[in-house]
Amino acid sequence: MSADARQIEAKNYTAILNNYPAEKRYILAIMQDMQGEFRYLPQESLELIASYVNVPLSRVYSMATFYKAFSLVPKGRINFKVCDGTACHIKGSNIIIDMIYQHLGIKPGETTADGEFSIETVNCLGACALAPALVANERVHPKLTSSGIIKIIKSYEGQIYATGN
Amino acid sequence: MRISIDHQAIDVNPGETILEAVRKTGIDIPTLCYHEAFGGQGMCRMCMVEVKNGNTTRLVASCTYPIYEEIEVKTSTPAIEKIRRSIVTLLYRTAPKSEFMENLYREYNCKENRLSIDLNERCILCRLCVRACEEIGSSAISAIFRGTEKRISTPFDEASAVCIGCAACVEVCPTGAIGLSETDEERTIWNKTFALVHCERCGKPFATREQLDYIATRVGMKDNAANFCEDCRKKNLATQISQFI
Amino acid sequence: MQQAINNDKRMILVCCGTGCLANGSMEVYQALQQQLSTNEVQVKTYTKATGCNGWCEQGPLVKIMPDDITYCLVNAKDVPEIIAKTLQTGEIINRLLYRDPKSKKRFKSHHEIDFYKKQHKVALRNIGEIDPASIEDYISTDGYKALKKVLQEMTSAQVIDEVMKSGLRGRGGGGFPTGLKWKAGATTKASPRYVICNGDEGDPGAFMDRSIMEGDPHTVIEGMIICAYAIGACAGYIYVRNEYSLAVKNLNIAINNARSQGYLGKDILGSQLAFDIEIVRGGGAFVCGEETALIASIEGNVGEPRDKYIFPTEKGLWGQPTIINNVETWANIPVIINKGAAEFASIGTEGSKGTKVFSLVGKVINTGLVEVPMGTTLREIIFDIGGGIPGGRNFKAVQTGGPSGGCIPEHMLDLQVDFDTLIKAGSMMGSGGLIVMDDRTCMVEIARYYANFLAGESCGKCTPCREGIKAMLEILNNICQGEGREEDLEFLQEIGETMQTASLCALGRTAPNPVLSTLHHFREEYLEHINNARCPAGVCRDLTEFYIDGEPCTGCGLCVKNCPVDAISGEKKKVHVIDQDKCIQCGECINHCKFDAVKIR
Repeated sequence: MSADARQIEAKNYTAILNNYPAEKRYILAIMQDMQGEFRYLPQESLELIASYVNVPLSRVYSMATFYKAFSLVPKGRINFKVCDGTACHIKGSNIIIDMIYQHLGIKPGETTADGEFSIETVNCLGACALAPALVANERVHPKLTSSGIIKIIKSYEGQIYATGN
Repeated sequence: MRISIDHQAIDVNPGETILEAVRKTGIDIPTLCYHEAFGGQGMCRMCMVEVKNGNTTRLVASCTYPIYEEIEVKTSTPAIEKIRRSIVTLLYRTAPKSEFMENLYREYNCKENRLSIDLNERCILCRLCVRACEEIGSSAISAIFRGTEKRISTPFDEASAVCIGCAACVEVCPTGAIGLSETDEERTIWNKTFALVHCERCGKPFATREQLDYIATRVGMKDNAANFCEDCRKKNLATQISQFI
Repeated sequence: MQQAINNDKRMILVCCGTGCLANGSMEVYQALQQQLSTNEVQVKTYTKATGCNGWCEQGPLVKIMPDDITYCLVNAKDVPEIIAKTLQTGEIINRLLYRDPKSKKRFKSHHEIDFYKKQHKVALRNIGEIDPASIEDYISTDGYKALKKVLQEMTSAQVIDEVMKSGLRGRGGGGFPTGLKWKAGATTKASPRYVICNGDEGDPGAFMDRSIMEGDPHTVIEGMIICAYAIGACAGYIYVRNEYSLAVKNLNIAINNARSQGYLGKDILGSQLAFDIEIVRGGGAFVCGEETALIASIEGNVGEPRDKYIFPTEKGLWGQPTIINNVETWANIPVIINKGAAEFASIGTEGSKGTKVFSLVGKVINTGLVEVPMGTTLREIIFDIGGGIPGGRNFKAVQTGGPSGGCIPEHMLDLQVDFDTLIKAGSMMGSGGLIVMDDRTCMVEIARYYANFLAGESCGKCTPCREGIKAMLEILNNICQGEGREEDLEFLQEIGETMQTASLCALGRTAPNPVLSTLHHFREEYLEHINNARCPAGVCRDLTEFYIDGEPCTGCGLCVKNCPVDAISGEKKKVHVIDQDKCIQCGECINHCKFDAVKIR
């Protein structure tokens, strides 16, 4: 990373930390803001959090690995969260996961080499009536089919994606 | 207050755990995650006992159950023994080559089963190492991830900046799961290599520089006093340690 | 129903719960807003974005009042027509009305449809009717009336007494009597005290709490303030699952509105009560639905539970007396105060008073949220309200209680659902998920699915749960791959019993339930996998083969067109063949074949 980029990132870390009192109970909230900002939790961010709230790094690392909301490796520009809740499961979520693997070559937890796409499974999106479903960067795609998912992937490929709805 | 343990009447203080009370009687309850210095953790569930309180009878973990009422405790029943055997059976596959688990397996007469075994595994996740590191060391290691992927590690599986190489973790580990390699000059543990300090009197390597500095800081000594090994400095070291536990 | 309508104004309610949003309801809402402001519509209108109606299958839903018209599957393109016809002239657009798949009849209003008619909404009373971002809307439906009554006319002891008399039991899964919990919290001596809302709805297949937090956040807030008064608490926390971003957003708006109107903060409504609420976002951990793990999480730790020999009502958050209740439990409190405990207790069964919200999902025609009195039978819920099994298939089982529950087979469909009957049946209520399964669901695979889920969600602290689930999962994987043996079943039973007695928390203690209940009710299915290496439901990949039966096959090629992996080949008008190496068993060929030529073995 360039020196400029590092500086910017350092500023962002501080900005996020300063939103919260320096207390252990805000670790989770701080991490969520950082995950949202950087798409993952860089090693530095954990070290900064540990010193900010005065808690051993090992404990902060325990939390970063315990909670599935966080990733220690960068997620793709488009992150597919495929729901594997029971309703979605019995309606074929594993087939959707297969199709994504066939088309993009990634399995849950992996990111494509170009950093464009990543896939993970999540436990339940709460859209059970629209099973099987996935979320791509906050946007819910309901009632997926094996052919429909290909169309969805293609619609994101090469697109300049504007964050937020 | 008075409670009964295996039909023996025992005096206890309110809030004391059943395990603490039982240890006074000389009755043996098996434990895997308990250590005198750290107390009970409620993780291994080997110490489960039967408690009768009024009309209710239930099984509880004796290392975390605080006594506030006049209960009747049974430290062993067929149901409890079944649980203990089951736990040992399940745990055996996490440390199959360790003498500790081999002994337990035989003691509980465990049955063979078809579950897969990784002969390289050694950790039973009792977390005594983590507790030792918290109490005596610098909290360099912790339990990471969760569920079936839970394991003990330094952050990022890298050499920890705060690890002082004291090897307290190795001391308390029942299955020898922590890798420690040592020569006269160096100690390597958790991916970090330390230079060893030699005893000024007998020349034996006995501690890392970082360890001595850490102790000095915790005890409040400005200058790290004479570097003597345990044997040569037994009494003084004991006093120092007892000051900060 | 709606009182906030001006008599000369028409109200248009657009469902903007997560489900309908996914289907494009925001575009419908925006189109209505835009076109109604620019158009010269003769009639005055007011458009509202509401929370989830619980009928996601038919969304986007648009309701028009006071006409009482419900339009289904509405598209933004339909908006001009709705304005021109229904709003301007009152003409109903038939094609947008709900059409019953069996009778083919069209219904004007959702009130006429079985799915809604047979429900009894208490916790869900406001959802789909009010704009969750508007505190005025909430107030217009008796909102904060209960709080006023409590602060001005009742003592804290009377409040607790009323909750006890109502017979309300925790709706999150534990079913513990709420009144008793509050009483315990009030009688401890320590202070400060806390109130927590458990919004970490993690059971896969359950989304009632999501719907309440999104669609009627004030009912939760009001419930919590009433409890704060009853037990003397100063601060409250709503722990919301990280994945529910709309719920977090709407809760934040509601809390801010409540504060600015004096319902939260100091001297609430001129009383001496000072109470405020903070939202804590979960980190993505099912185990944090367990109350001691939730508390640990709020405190800034990993979500590992502790032994509960001392209850949170005595030592909870930061070692202080704490009341934790589930979202749906909180939603019932204002109703109990307003209508009185006796009326609340007049519904339900002897041991389980009131109603319960179920999320009816899976292989059922009408999927969605269903609120019915306790004691309603499974058959009524699944067939009368749910409309039965789609595709002409047969009912096989219904899974209740999520990963802590069990599967209930057909011969028990007349079970009257309540906390105790479900436990007797080898399952439990859990948070209310009802997952309907048909003959194409493999019960062994379901047990494996839940074991896999729990393997990742267990906190990993105690041996029986962590190692027990690991062992169960390995055995179940073997069975699903055709490598099981009969002695495995006995071993599963033994491990299960150890987990039930020795695990540290309820997750571990109930983790064996899906395995043990399917073993009990569907043992033959396990044996078929083990002894004959066959999966009767045609689900387990290694034991199943999709093939084309030469007899009915006409070589029309429809299957080839719809196969996403090009696994089928064949010449026109000649029998087609499936390449087993490529086939992923997605079932599209079965779905499309008009001659029933694709078979499973």
